[in-house]
Amino acid sequence: MSNPLLTISGLRAGYGAAPVLFGLDLKINEGEIVALVGSNGAGKTTLLRAISRMIAAEGSINFAGKELMPLTPEQVFATGLVQVPEGRQLFARMTVEENLRMGALLRRDPEGVVRSFARMYELFPILAERRRQMAGSLSGGEQQMCALARGLMAEPKLLMVDEMSLGLAPVVVDQLLVVLSDIRKAGVTILLVEQDVFAAFSVADRGYVIETGHIVREGTVAELERDSDLRKAYLGVA
Amino acid sequence: MKGRVALLGLCAVLLALLPLTGDDVLIQYGIDALLFATLAQAWNIIGGFAGYASFGNSSFYGLGTYGTAIAMAQLHLPFWVGLCLGAFLAVVCAVLIGLPILRLRGHYFAIATLGLSATLSAIIANLDISGRNIGLILPLTRNDTMFYELALVLLVAATGTVAWIARSRFGMGLIAIRENEDAAQVMGVNTTLYKVTALVLSAFFTALAGGIHAYWITFIDPASAFDLTLNVRMVIMAMFGGPGTVLGPVIGSFILTFVYQLLASSISTAAALLFGIVIVLAVIFMPRGLWDLAGGLRRLGPRYFLQNIRAHRL
Repeated sequence: MSNPLLTISGLRAGYGAAPVLFGLDLKINEGEIVALVGSNGAGKTTLLRAISRMIAAEGSINFAGKELMPLTPEQVFATGLVQVPEGRQLFARMTVEENLRMGALLRRDPEGVVRSFARMYELFPILAERRRQMAGSLSGGEQQMCALARGLMAEPKLLMVDEMSLGLAPVVVDQLLVVLSDIRKAGVTILLVEQDVFAAFSVADRGYVIETGHIVREGTVAELERDSDLRKAYLGVA
Repeated sequence: MKGRVALLGLCAVLLALLPLTGDDVLIQYGIDALLFATLAQAWNIIGGFAGYASFGNSSFYGLGTYGTAIAMAQLHLPFWVGLCLGAFLAVVCAVLIGLPILRLRGHYFAIATLGLSATLSAIIANLDISGRNIGLILPLTRNDTMFYELALVLLVAATGTVAWIARSRFGMGLIAIRENEDAAQVMGVNTTLYKVTALVLSAFFTALAGGIHAYWITFIDPASAFDLTLNVRMVIMAMFGGPGTVLGPVIGSFILTFVYQLLASSISTAAALLFGIVIVLAVIFMPRGLWDLAGGLRRLGPRYFLQNIRAHRL
């Protein structure tokens, strides 16, 4: 359980002359669900983009024993680090099934892909019902499921989910959180990037709190929930 | 699938036998139609599959034209060397301009490519080796049958390439880029590589068509070689037939070339209007081209048109 899958140390990144991340350290163990919480503009999405190597960065990112820094985004993807982007970014004019197929685009094991399809429809029965429907016509929650399933079709070791709860009803978020635990049981490690601290902490093992490009708190969810400053700032309770 | 391939093979054989009729006019129309179909098909790779509306294809055509002309008229090399030179120039150009401007999306890409033809035309018009403004005269070969068969081979090769693309991982990646480029990138698609490759393939076939046309027509000048209206016609033919399909652009350009020739010989003013009218009607009534029309009519009947008209809030 305590094998580190992703180890980030001293990560600095930004856009042009504007630095966003100021030397972050973060560790994710195999089989964990780790929540990264923080408000708007704290640098959450920037961190994901830096890990995916879509923007320039300094420091070290070690994933499954491999240094990601010199890799291109495609190479990072191939190591098994897959992002479910903010706003879902589905192929709206394609069917659910075609969207899932796109997730498996770079895989070279046709039988494995067939098995993955079966597993996705088991994990998300609603997607099986809607497989021939255009992804753009799904409800918000179904779209998020489709985005998760598409990411899982790539057989990730680590799934990074950005703002999963965005624009969704609380009851739908709860359903998705259950699915996340199921995904973890299937052996996928998850980094959950969220503004909704309640939702994130309800499913995560450990958490990191990011503020203006610095990690200001880290620990198990139980520890973080006891932290009085955090309770005031993020949970809205004294 | 096999039946369809056999049917297409039969069509190609029948087309190949057309020169046996000995009808010179028909053969010349045929060369024209085949070259246009190739141009529309080549545009289809970057415009239809990758979704990048290129107005740089007339530049690739011009480079293919001039590559062939310079090799034959100035360097006295054989025709096939000229074809290779033209294709090489176009491919190099596609890589050089593709890398920077394929970062632009949508209209911005189209606008950036628009300038290319004018720039290249101006450069060519000032080089001695390309005959400056006056142009070049290629050695005359009166063998329309050969040009016809060459054009047919090129069209078959281009269509075969597109058929492969449509079924390949590469083609799926291009479609992903067309539908949502950010998502394609997140799914591990090397978007830059895919887009540049698509543009290079498009440039390659476009340049070969230009080279064949140059040798056939024997006289070229900058204005006709880098003619932007040619690019517009590629776009209209591909859009009319069905962008992003394998056969749509070919069928679309056959039909449009036929109608155009028909009008040009009877009411020539109407012929000039044809492409404008076609693109307006096609966008409203069959936004995804003939190919979509065929499927849509089978499923929905006349409601197909109503649905499209309604989608435009008319």
